Amino acid sequence: MWQRRAFLKSAGAGFVASLLPRQTMALEGSELVFASAVQTASGSYGAVLMGERGNVIAMIDLPDRGHDITLSRQAGRGVVFARQPGTFAVVFDPQGREAPKTLTSIEGRHFFGHGVFSPDGTLLYATESDFEAAKGVVGIYDAGNDYQRIGEFPTYGIGPHEMLLMPDGRTLVIANGGIETHPDYGRAELNLDTMDPSIVFIDRVDGRLIGQLRLEAGLHQLSIRHMAIDQASRVWFGCQYKGAPGDSVQLVGFATQDGAIKLLELPPDTLGDLQNYVGSVAASADGATIAVSSPQGDLLVAIDAAAQRPVLVATLRNGCGLAPYGTGFVASSGEGELIGLAGAQRAQQQFPFLFDNHLLRV
Amino acid sequence: MRLSLALMVLLACLSPAWAQTITPTEMLRSSVTNFIRPQVKAFAREARALEPAMATLCASPGADTLGAAQAAFAATSVAYGRIEFLRIGPLAENNRAERLLFWPDRRGIGLRQVQQLLGDEDAGAITLAGLQGKSVAVQGLGALEFVLFGTGSEALLDTTDGFRCRYGQTIAQNLAQIADEIVLAWADPAGVAEHLMRPDPAYPDYRSTTESLEAVVGLVAHGIEAVRDTRLNPFIARNGDTANPRQAMFWRSHQTVAMLEANLKAMQTLLALGGMATDPDLADEIDAAFSRAFAALAGVSAPVEVAVADPVQAAALNDLVVATQDLQRLIGEELSATLGLSVGFSSLDGD
Repeated sequence: MWQRRAFLKSAGAGFVASLLPRQTMALEGSELVFASAVQTASGSYGAVLMGERGNVIAMIDLPDRGHDITLSRQAGRGVVFARQPGTFAVVFDPQGREAPKTLTSIEGRHFFGHGVFSPDGTLLYATESDFEAAKGVVGIYDAGNDYQRIGEFPTYGIGPHEMLLMPDGRTLVIANGGIETHPDYGRAELNLDTMDPSIVFIDRVDGRLIGQLRLEAGLHQLSIRHMAIDQASRVWFGCQYKGAPGDSVQLVGFATQDGAIKLLELPPDTLGDLQNYVGSVAASADGATIAVSSPQGDLLVAIDAAAQRPVLVATLRNGCGLAPYGTGFVASSGEGELIGLAGAQRAQQQFPFLFDNHLLRV
Repeated sequence: MRLSLALMVLLACLSPAWAQTITPTEMLRSSVTNFIRPQVKAFAREARALEPAMATLCASPGADTLGAAQAAFAATSVAYGRIEFLRIGPLAENNRAERLLFWPDRRGIGLRQVQQLLGDEDAGAITLAGLQGKSVAVQGLGALEFVLFGTGSEALLDTTDGFRCRYGQTIAQNLAQIADEIVLAWADPAGVAEHLMRPDPAYPDYRSTTESLEAVVGLVAHGIEAVRDTRLNPFIARNGDTANPRQAMFWRSHQTVAMLEANLKAMQTLLALGGMATDPDLADEIDAAFSRAFAALAGVSAPVEVAVADPVQAAALNDLVVATQDLQRLIGEELSATLGLSVGFSSLDGD
């Protein structure tokens, strides 16, 4: 399997033995700092919980490839979602007191890999696909009642991907990537000629559409996928361009709840290095800096949110996951590395597993 | 003694040490000059021959001319089947791939649009410029298949210069024009071929030999995946579900199996001509998996609705799925690893 070869090549065989047993250990909640979906050396999938120094606290088994993780202190639970078009989400106790519980999407729906809790931790929201109708929905799960699915509302678009809760605690912002897929066709993209990506703001209480923002018509093949919120409550987003590979299209921008949407003018070199693909977006702890990553282009870019300009670029082979750390970020890679970025003083670390696209700072 | 010496020489020639002498640059050059350029030209030749076949059919409707047009459609389709996985350069631009063949079409949008257009005798569909302004789903091979083989195609036997035929002829013109654009783009000395063969940090698309090689190997790995996910799985019986032969591409013209064979054969040929399987054991494994795929296909006869209902043929289709899974792993993972390509977890196919 390539997983094994790539792993041995990138990590060195010596790391294999250091992998902790899968069984969750008793956790010190205060110690848990990072979480990410991973692929292990044997090619299996899991989610790793790590401490401050990158020490592995626990590994949670997953039935297939995971994607993003969300966590609620109030609920005392984390959830790792299946990568699209997966049908599972695993709820885990970061304290390790209870065995993980696997949720399965209802018939006719699959997950997109992202979700959020309500501020009080009583409800879990997940972006899902109503694939027969080719419509995005938000599935609502009752955390207080064994994560029963209690309803859904539309995302007003196809292929909803990342979803965040706005600082008001009530408004959900969702990136409708615009790409239609169907489980019968694997990951094939079925509507590249007629894509209609958008960012929507939705009232999570009643599912009401507060606003929907689109980029200009000529950019209908620019799939809006990942987001982060800055100190001014602007929603920064990163896109993946599905048009001609030779095209050079801006990929990073921000939207505001009062209806503005704007693409940043990244310099041609930086844009070229992003390879028409942004894999994740994160905000620094103070919300003053935004980071975007491109695993295709091995590039990380830090952006001054107020000045709206890039302030730093760094390379990380297959780098994608981003989480706030210190005044900067920690980035993770598909080759099992963690590095500090933009003011985060951290030595580069190599792990015996491959990080998936997203890194959560607990 | 002499024989064993000859054998040793032969073995030496087959050894990895020899194979490694094929440089990535040579792999790229050979992929472009020995596979991509000749195959896109072959497609353009067939597409250009289709247009007069349609013109003759319109002027002299009858069983012979219809048969000739249908044969030209089949030849053009198979020629496209050999290049449709080349989703870089011109086929990835201007919706050319979708205009040539709109597939998959899970909800039958293309069919509905074609039927509507035929019912309305939409005059905008029988001029090339008019057709090119319409939905991509009514511009290409899928639409032409319905014209030539679908309900109402019997009108082509006796209606001179009828709307249906002229629409088909316009599609053929469109196919020929797009095919010519593809040939020109691949021939352009400053175009995608040059970037792919001689990558440069200044190019937006291919900045290094590794990126170029990743792109070419990725075409095959993703091509295999697309064959399985968009051509096979939607119509075969799996997970206890019943088969759905109407979801098979080109079931009307009985070209389903021919297209699958063309797809897979072309990908095997590109790997061979590009010399990319430098590890002989891996090359053998890849060839064996392709052989299993072709053996499975040989056991499937037209029409598709009969094939899926026959347990032996249905089993062969399932064997084909397994072979494509093996191929995807061998090429996308093992072969990539032997070439030192980034098979990175995060960048493999994005999300």
